[in-house]
Order: sequence, then C-alpha cells, then structure tokens
Amino acid sequence: MQVSYFETARYQVPPTVPAEWPVPPGAYDPETGAKAYQGMVDRVRHVEELGFDWVSLSEHHYSPRILTPNIAVSGSYIAAQSKTIKIAILGPIVSQSNPVQVAEEMAMLDTLSNGRLVFGMLRGTTNEYLTFDLNPAEARERTTEAMELVLKAWTEPQPFGWQGRHFQFRTVSVWPRPLQQPLPPTYSLGTSRESCEFSARHHIGLGVSFAPFEVVAKSTRYYRQECARHGWEPTPEQMLYRANILLAETDEEAHDLLEKQRSGPAAFPMRAGVRDALLKLDQRNVAGEARTPNVGGSLPTSFYGSPDTVVEQIKRCREEVGVGVLDLAFQNPGAPDTGRLMQSLELFAEKVLPRIRDV
Amino acid sequence: MKVSYFETARYRAPRSLPVEWPVPPDAYDREAGTESYRGMIERMQFVEELGFDWISVAEHHYSPNRLTPNPVVSAAHLAAYARKITIAVLGPIVSQSNPVKVAEELAMLDNMLPGRLVVGMLRGITGEYLTYGLNPAEARERTTEAMELVLKAWTEPQPFGWQGRHFQFRTVAVWPRPRQQPHPPTYALGTSRESCEFAARHHLGLGVSYAPFDIIAKATRYYRERCAEHGWQPTPEQIIYRANILIGETDAEAEELRAAQRRARQAFPLSEGVRDALLQLDIRNVAGEARTPNVGGVLPTNFVGAPDTIIEQIKRCREQSGAGVLDLMFQIPGSNDLSFLMRSLELFGKKVLPHIREV
Amino acid sequence: MTQAGEAFREGYVETDGFRIRYMEAGKGPAVVHLHGAGGLRLTRGHDLLSRQFRIIAFEMPGFGTSPENNRTRDLPELAATMAKAVAALGLDQFNLMGTSFGGKTALWLAAQHPEQVRSLVLEAPAAIRPAGSEPPAGSPEEMARRLYAHPERVPPMPPPDPAVREKQARLVARLRGPDRDPELEARLQRLAVPTLVLFGTVDRVIPPNMGHFYKELMPNCNLVFVYDAGHAISTDRPEAFAEVVADFIERREAFVISRTETVIHP
Repeated sequence: MQVSYFETARYQVPPTVPAEWPVPPGAYDPETGAKAYQGMVDRVRHVEELGFDWVSLSEHHYSPRILTPNIAVSGSYIAAQSKTIKIAILGPIVSQSNPVQVAEEMAMLDTLSNGRLVFGMLRGTTNEYLTFDLNPAEARERTTEAMELVLKAWTEPQPFGWQGRHFQFRTVSVWPRPLQQPLPPTYSLGTSRESCEFSARHHIGLGVSFAPFEVVAKSTRYYRQECARHGWEPTPEQMLYRANILLAETDEEAHDLLEKQRSGPAAFPMRAGVRDALLKLDQRNVAGEARTPNVGGSLPTSFYGSPDTVVEQIKRCREEVGVGVLDLAFQNPGAPDTGRLMQSLELFAEKVLPRIRDV
Repeated sequence: MKVSYFETARYRAPRSLPVEWPVPPDAYDREAGTESYRGMIERMQFVEELGFDWISVAEHHYSPNRLTPNPVVSAAHLAAYARKITIAVLGPIVSQSNPVKVAEELAMLDNMLPGRLVVGMLRGITGEYLTYGLNPAEARERTTEAMELVLKAWTEPQPFGWQGRHFQFRTVAVWPRPRQQPHPPTYALGTSRESCEFAARHHLGLGVSYAPFDIIAKATRYYRERCAEHGWQPTPEQIIYRANILIGETDAEAEELRAAQRRARQAFPLSEGVRDALLQLDIRNVAGEARTPNVGGVLPTNFVGAPDTIIEQIKRCREQSGAGVLDLMFQIPGSNDLSFLMRSLELFGKKVLPHIREV
Repeated sequence: MTQAGEAFREGYVETDGFRIRYMEAGKGPAVVHLHGAGGLRLTRGHDLLSRQFRIIAFEMPGFGTSPENNRTRDLPELAATMAKAVAALGLDQFNLMGTSFGGKTALWLAAQHPEQVRSLVLEAPAAIRPAGSEPPAGSPEEMARRLYAHPERVPPMPPPDPAVREKQARLVARLRGPDRDPELEARLQRLAVPTLVLFGTVDRVIPPNMGHFYKELMPNCNLVFVYDAGHAISTDRPEAFAEVVADFIERREAFVISRTETVIHP
C-alpha cells in the first residue's frame, strides 16, 4: 500500500471568523496566511522524511479551510522544496476551469518537479459550483469534456482545434509537454458511473473519496468491470482512496477525539437557502446508483483508532475496495495548533507505515 | 534607477524547430524543457547575486520561445529559491483569463514571497488572441473590466457578486488575500490611452515596452497628466519600461552583434493569412494616437553598446520617459548561447548597475 | 424536425461519359461535396451549410442508383471526372468538401486543380489510414455502431438495397488505394489550398489520431477535433460541424481568430 498525505495549507482560523462559506475575505490575516504556506512547506518536508510516498493538494476556494485555490501554484512552490516525494494534484476542478490552461500548468509542474507529478481531475464539491458560477446541470458533462481535452492537449503532436459542446478552441498547442511519458500517472476523481467509464476508456486511474468502504467498493468494482470491457486491468496503484484518519496512541483516545470532532463544524457550511437549492440541483451517483450530494456537511472518518486498529482497517480497506493508494486527511479535532497533527504523522510513520507496505 | 531581469525560461532546442507560431508540440524535447527551467533558477540566483532588483516573468503560450504559459506557476517555483530579489509577474494576460482566478493565484504567490511581489496586468500581444480564442474587437474592454475585477477581488472585505459586461460572478470571496496590503505594487501594462487612464484612476503604476524612448514618452506623459487630474503623482518606480538590451565590451562589438541580430528570426511569426487578418482587426494606440499592432514582427533593441554608452542611454531614457524601473530583455544575437547571456548579465551587473543607481 | 436534405433539389450533369446525379440547395459561394464510401446521404450538416452557401452534393459514378462503374481505374481518375462535373455546372472557383472516401477523392481533385479550389474541407478523411484498415461493413446496426458516436440518437434509415451496397463496396475496394499513398502525399506537400481537417473524437472507422498527418504534410492545414462525434460528424453533431466549416469556408485560415461576442449585458 502506498500512502499520500493530504495537505491543505492549514490556516489557523480565529473563532471570530464566520464559519459560513464563502468566508468574508476581510477576515484574512496576512501573517497567519504566510505562516500557513510556510507550515505547508515544513509539513511536506517532514512527511517526505517520514517516508510518505505522495503529498496531495486539492483545489478549494473562498475559505481559509483549504488555502489552495490554484494547486499548480502551491504544487510548484512545494516542488522547489522537496526532492523525492510525488506531488499529487487531486485535483484541479476541470469543470469550471479552462482545460487547456490546466494542461499547460500541469505540464509545467511535471517538468518543474522533475517528473514527480501525479494528476487527478475533479468535478468539484457541490459548493464549488458557486465559485465560478458553474451550472450544476452542466457539471457532469463539462467535467467529461474537459478531461478529454486535457488528455488531448497533452498527446496530440500537432496544433489542433476543439469543437466541443462546452469548450471551443481553434488553436491548441501546449508547450511544455509533461515530462512523464506518455502521461503522468493520471486519475479521474469520483465515484460516479461517468468517472469510472471515462477512466476505463482512457486507461487512467480512478480516485474515490471519503465514503465508507462498502460504498467506494461499488465504484472500484464497476471501474474494474469497465476496464475489463475495454480489455485491460488496472493495477492497485491506479485506484486511490482519499479518506479521513484519526490516529491516536490508543483506541480510547481516538474514540474521545472522534466524539469531539462530531461536535465540530463542517468544512464548508452554507446558508440554508443556498444549501437546499443546491441539494435539489446537484445530481450525483455511485457507479450509477443515485446518491445525495454532500452540501456543507461533515465527512465520515474512515480510519480511526490506535496504530494496530488502523493497520487492520487498512487491510480490510484493501480487501474490500482494492485500492493501492491511500490519500489521508489527518484529523486534528479541537486542537488550536498543528502540534497534534505532527504527532499523528510521526505515529503513523512509525507504527503504521512499515506494517502496511505489503498490504 | 531600478533594474529588472526579464527571464523567459530559455529553451535550447536540440534540433531545428518549425518557425511558425503555434509551434507543433511534438517538437518538444523533454530534456531541453527540464534544462530550461533549471537554467531559469540559476539565472535568477545569478542576477540576485549581481544586485538586480527584480526578476520578471511573462505569460506566453504555444511556443518554446517563452516556456511560461502560467507565469505564476514559474514564479511560485522561483519564490522558493529567491532570497532578496523581487519577483515581477509582468504579466498575466487578464483579457483571456478568469480574473478571479488571477486574483487568487497572485494572492497565493504574494504570501509565498514576503513583500517581494510586483504585478502587471496585460492585454496580451496580438498573436495571443488566438491562444484561448479572444475576439480582438473585445480585447481592450475585457482587459479593462478584468483589471478592475482583480483589484476588487483583492480589496472587497465581504463576498460580492460582479455583474460585468464580459464577466459575471455571483460569488467572489478570495482567500488568501495578498500579503501586501491593500495589494502588491500593481501596474497596468501598455502604452494605450485606456491603460494610462486606468492606471491613473486606480493609482497604479504603468508599464510600457519596447518602443523607442520618444514613443513611450508620449504614454508616460499622458499617464502623468491623467494622474495629476486624479490628484496624485506617480513615483518613478511606478513607471516600468521593458526593453531589449544588447551589451558588448565595446561599442564596436555591440554594433557587430546588432548586425547579427538583424538576421535573427522573430519571436512569434504567424502564417501570412492569419497575420494579415489580425493586423486588420487589432486596434492599438499610444496615448490615444493609433499605432500599427506588431504581429509576429521583430522588436527594436533600445539599449546597445559598451557599458558607458548604455549608461548614457539609460540616463537619456530616464529624462525622456521618466521610467524608474528598466525591465531588460538581454539579447543573444544569432545564437542561443547561454554563456553569452551570462557574460552580458555580469557585464551589466558590474559595469552598468553601480552607475545608474542615482539616475 | 424535417427530414435532412428536404430543401435539396435533384439535378444531373452529363460529363466524361457519365450521367452524374447531384443534390443542390442554397445561395452564395459554391461548396461542392463528395460523399463517403456509403454513397450520398444528406445530413443536417448539409441543411445548415445551405443557409449560407450553395451546396452541391454529387453522387459519384457507380454509387447509389447510377450504373455499376467499371471504367474508372483509380482515384485520380475519379477526381478528374468530378472536376469535369463541377466544370459542367459552370463553376471555375469553388470550395470543396469531402467525406471519408470522398475526402481522399477531394484531395486528388485539389491536387489536380489547386487554382480552382478556394478552400478544402475534409470530414474524417480516408486518405491516410492505419495499416490494414477496412471500410465499415455489416448489418445496418453494426454500420451504425461504427459510424455514429450515439447510434441510438440517429433516426432509423430505410434499409439499404443489398445490390447497391455490394456495387459500391466493389467500387470502393477497387479505388480506395493504399493506406498510405506516397504519390498523393508528395502532391499534398505542395498543395497550398487552405485546408480544414475534421475528426470526431470517437471515430470508430478512422482513428482521429490520423489527423495530425495531414497537418504535418500540408503547408496550409488546420486540424479540428469535434468532441463526442463519430465518423459521421455532420450527422452526430451537425451544428458544431456546420459552425466551424462555415467559418472556415468564409475566412479560411483566419477562422482561428475568434469573433465570438462575450458581452453578457451591454
């Protein structure tokens, strides 16, 4: 099993800052922000030393919670300050981006990091539809078309035009190209039927997230079936699972912390009127079965307990879901600083990592 | 006088390349691309040591000639290596970008470079209209609206909506904010009446480029007049002049090199049919006087000669144009010999720089 | 929706010893169309283009209801016949569009008469093919799966006459030439006619990655991918097809310059 550390450029939010997304930017404190990016670099160096395989970043907007609106920029900054760790961009929200620009930025990043890029393409969490005014009804189709255009922009040898449904370009000719050939390790991120089918058709990986094992297992199963239909079989590394983890010295301690977390705030809480409207409009599915979108809610913690317990959970996850990469969001419930986070990372590296290499 | 080194991530093609823009991406050599970014870092460290004040990067696409399709991504990489030099992003092509995204990524960058980011906002050279399909008839208006939205996104304390002519957003709430408050030193780039007026109205700097002193002096004069109308006076540092420089040990050597340069090829040549169509559609002006757009042509070299000659030229430039920052594009005539570039930088750093500080 | 091609009227031209049928509609600059291996089939794409151009879609000798063509020996000869047919209509300058097999024919015609062809549009051209590729054959359902990105969206067509199909298949097999034709490719390197090559991203007859070869060979060529279209682009995505083709015919290589207005509110 390979392990990725999900880094969010933690900004220490003072309690006076409103929780509702979008968060008023007037509350931004430049000193705290500068510390957040410095902390990001420190943690990346630390997990690189601890033996984590990847560090992952994801695109989020309008909130101090995840301070990386353009992850190519933070990825490029990190690439300059790390040596061996893979930089997993999971991922740019392609549905609301200019896909050619995404292809350009990622190719730059792959080159700047000397071929350490791992790349996932994302439809975006429901709240992000508001960021650049993406019509929820078009989100799915735009994501699929954008993913296809990114791949085309990386592989076509000659300048070309793109006569899409949602995107139109008469001149595409990306310089530089990615360093890794033919593509950096690339994933479509999502549990949906469409994600699974796209990945299978294009021989790329699948990234699922946060839902319990039995739910994400539906997706990975469907993905493998689709791959077989297209005449190939994905490796375990081509399936990644992003999940929350709450690691403590003992199960009791972890349990207490989990209770504390349950009473904590959601990541992107929204005003009721907007949330309810989005809930009605956003169509999501797991391998074709409809699911309720998560709008402003909390996400489950899939791994929690002492190192022994977490090792067992990871083994079960591998058996049930088949994934070969875990992308872990280390939880830090109720803590005012990142001290506990650093402890959990070390604990994980010492007591979990060595025991799951052969899982 | 402050001096900026314009860095283009010079790509040294191992085999001869097609000339026409856009350049077919299958001509891209990955080793050469990696080397060009490595060289970018080395040159930055070199000019930082020599005492250059800024290093500048610019947005260009679809060509090995400037390997920086997103200059913020390269700047974030450079930021990790920079110790004291200011990084000038001159500039993102705001007319064809998502201005909110530009505001977000520049704010991220500003937090990575404590107090050492400078920003210019650009309409883009004529050929770049083809990159993402920008209608030439709209380029001017979109630039103005985009610049205004970037500034608003950096300074509005509360989430807001933008009901523009060309851009529309219902939710804008940029996190992080820039570290420099209210925003980094910002320039409108261009000689046009509209650029000058925009910069004067918003108390921004003005960046002009390449044309001879007497032409750019028209723009800077107009800019200062407009500033006076708005009740303020720009400092010399608020006027940047980007220009080509060809420095030799002696005037005779520099003149010989200039002859070699005349035979050199253009940076972004277009096919004739496209060039002619663009020439008809692109409307440009200098402080209100119409000028012919430069489409795929060669740009003049404004500073040529031995160090002493160049010092005199710089003095004259300061007198005529009032620019307090020179952003210099060092020429390597007739070849792609980087050792020549390094020698030029050194010569400039040692023999020119100390003598123009008081200019 | 009306049947595709309803506005087109039938005509015949006698030339080169053949009686050649064509369908015509619209006013404006002339666009001559040469069909694919399956014969002349008017699409929504033709309808849309006929709003702006005079579309003349030929049925080449040996296709459709015309008698079996045992006379034409190769594609250059077929192209020469079609050039005569165009001349017989009194056109000395025209835009030329070719689909698949007709794309290869159109390339030969343009190579023979470059001064007459104002612009050249190639819809999923079959002039450069992967080794060993075969034109689509089989049941109507199998044909539809090869030709269209979404066969279920294409209205059912009357079953083809097996005699016509066999006659056409024999002719195509005889004329289509090698997968890579050095003689044609040598001509293309000198063919300066502004050319637009279109491929659907899910073309299951000729892989869309054949597109770049045209751009590499021809001095004034543009390549455009039509997203989510199969081999029959003008049936799968008629609006997307007609928009880019009309723009190209009107402005040729300058069609890369956007004139899309992005003003939301004045």
